[in-house]
Amino acid sequence: MFTKFFYTCKAKGLHITLSEWLTFIEALDQGLAGSSLTQFYYLARMILVKSETDFDKFDLAFDECFKAVRSENEVTSEMLRWLDKSDMLELAHEDARKWLNEGEDLQIDKEDVEEKFKDRLKDQDTEHNGGSYWIGTMGKTSFGNLGGNVGGVRVGGKTGYQSAFAVVGARKYRDFRDDRMLDNRQFQLAFRRLRQFSARLDVPKTELDIAQTVDKTCNNGGYLQIVMEKPRKNSVKLLLLFDSGGTMIPFSSLMNELFQAVNKSNHFKDVKCYYFHNCIYSKLYKTPECENGDWVDTEWVFRNLDSDYKVIIVGDAAMAPEELYSDSGNYRGPNGGLSGWEWLTLMKRHYKKIIWLNPKMAPGHAPWREAETAIRQLLPMYKLTVEGLNQGMIRLMTNKN
Amino acid sequence: MREAFHSTGQYVASEQLMASVNVAIALEKPLLIKGEPGTGKTMLAQAVAASLGKKLIVWNIKSTTKAQDGLYLYDTIQRLYDGQFGEEGVDDIARYIKLGKLGEAFADDEQVILLIDEIDKADLEFPNDLLWELDQMEFYIHETKRTVKAKHRPIVIITSNAEKELPDAFLRRCIFHYIDFPDEQLMEQIVRVHYPDVEQKLLQEAMDVFYEIRSYRDIRKKPSTSELIDWINALQLGGIPTEQIRKALPFVGVIVKKDEDLETVRQKMA
Repeated sequence: MFTKFFYTCKAKGLHITLSEWLTFIEALDQGLAGSSLTQFYYLARMILVKSETDFDKFDLAFDECFKAVRSENEVTSEMLRWLDKSDMLELAHEDARKWLNEGEDLQIDKEDVEEKFKDRLKDQDTEHNGGSYWIGTMGKTSFGNLGGNVGGVRVGGKTGYQSAFAVVGARKYRDFRDDRMLDNRQFQLAFRRLRQFSARLDVPKTELDIAQTVDKTCNNGGYLQIVMEKPRKNSVKLLLLFDSGGTMIPFSSLMNELFQAVNKSNHFKDVKCYYFHNCIYSKLYKTPECENGDWVDTEWVFRNLDSDYKVIIVGDAAMAPEELYSDSGNYRGPNGGLSGWEWLTLMKRHYKKIIWLNPKMAPGHAPWREAETAIRQLLPMYKLTVEGLNQGMIRLMTNKN
Repeated sequence: MREAFHSTGQYVASEQLMASVNVAIALEKPLLIKGEPGTGKTMLAQAVAASLGKKLIVWNIKSTTKAQDGLYLYDTIQRLYDGQFGEEGVDDIARYIKLGKLGEAFADDEQVILLIDEIDKADLEFPNDLLWELDQMEFYIHETKRTVKAKHRPIVIITSNAEKELPDAFLRRCIFHYIDFPDEQLMEQIVRVHYPDVEQKLLQEAMDVFYEIRSYRDIRKKPSTSELIDWINALQLGGIPTEQIRKALPFVGVIVKKDEDLETVRQKMA
């Protein structure tokens, strides 16, 4: 029945699995949504959406699917209070029910009921119990609560929620969206993905496995039997290359956060950090100022940092096409006779895991971003947002390409 | 619903939160609670336990916690000692199996509430290691070849501070609730639960300052609900006149803990 809603959610970028959807249907079967749209909204959200970063997408999907249901006849909370008369249920015994259903034709026209309901919603200003015209309890009109009419509109009973659409419309979860820019903490968390415990790798067994040793010794009648295991240490080595060109100045505080985060993440086996100006040539600078002489040879880096270093290049890839393709490089420092493109190709050939993070990346290819587009063909490029960073980290850790 | 969770004398829950708890109970799924620090995630489990009159078992997760710790521990050292001194029953491994918190919850004769607190503190793989156990509500002890099965399916409440992303496979099985930061109305209710006779003017003024501080964009650590409650208590005990609160910011260290933030607050308030 709500299958369209399922696909709308998917279209909005929510990853809902079939098992979650079935759970939701089961919950509806159990009547957990009551008969309230708002309750339905929260029920759907708590089962289908597992992160507050996705609430906004869900709100949009919900709005799209159920906009039609949004009606002007919001029932006021005062009216709901008039109707919430659970103690009257006892009064409504068989005879009363019979009386209630007599007279009015049971063949109810839905549209007609809705029409009347809206009319009276507008006019009614007092409480009514047991009548045959207004919205109230114990009555025989087609709407109200605890009434006898079988085919009408049930109003209230158990609610008190904020209106679903008041929530949806406010889009109060917009700030949680994970395609926004990030802060230090989120950086650190992303870097925690870069973990690879060497217990699975090919290293000698150098640590004493106490539990196993004691266990084996017990089984051995108390004669000591030592068990060794491989050390569990992170084996990830990281090479960071920052662009500190002029166009990167607006992002300097972001770069600073990123740098701090790497420094704070002390779980790496080794971190090396160098700077470049717009594109990488034969020298890498030791400081963000990129001063002449204060550098190392890029080839020295290739020789000394072996190919299992994971490389993250951070830059906006905004440069003139000549800076990328010309044999004379750019005005900052020597280029060893190779163009930026060739240096980047060498880089990619040497390091198996390499990504480019771009704080400014726009979707699509624009002609004035020729260099960026070209580099994207060569190196996997991700936008510097929570989601982009995480995708990048996954790329660095998995065996794709 | 047979037994529904309500706000208690000590804990004010929003209606959505109550609904989430009750849905999780009805669908027999773990309830995952996220939210800013100090919004009462851990308190929730206590409140649910109190409201339903059930026993609460708390499993605090640390960065070194392994999934295995929650199931059972095999005390090999004790066994070694006993073996050395020729103690009785050393050949009976079952004597050296100690159930962890999850094991305890399974073995209990009544239905219990199991709080797995701050699950994101543990290693990334931790939640995945618990999938089978939480799904099937049973686990297998290799040493004794015995299966521990839950007598009554515990109500599982899991809290997370979002330090790490939790694995999708794990999330799929949970009911999710994000505790929003309480608005002023709810906040007043919460404070009143703790200090029923706090003076209205003092409460209003303290809350105004509190929400103003929270609204500063350049603040590093936003003050939380529990800190507001502590602050109001301090103001009450100190007998601070209401008009002094904004001017002098007495005991402001209770809500603002970082030096830089203190600087910012003093500048903006002045």
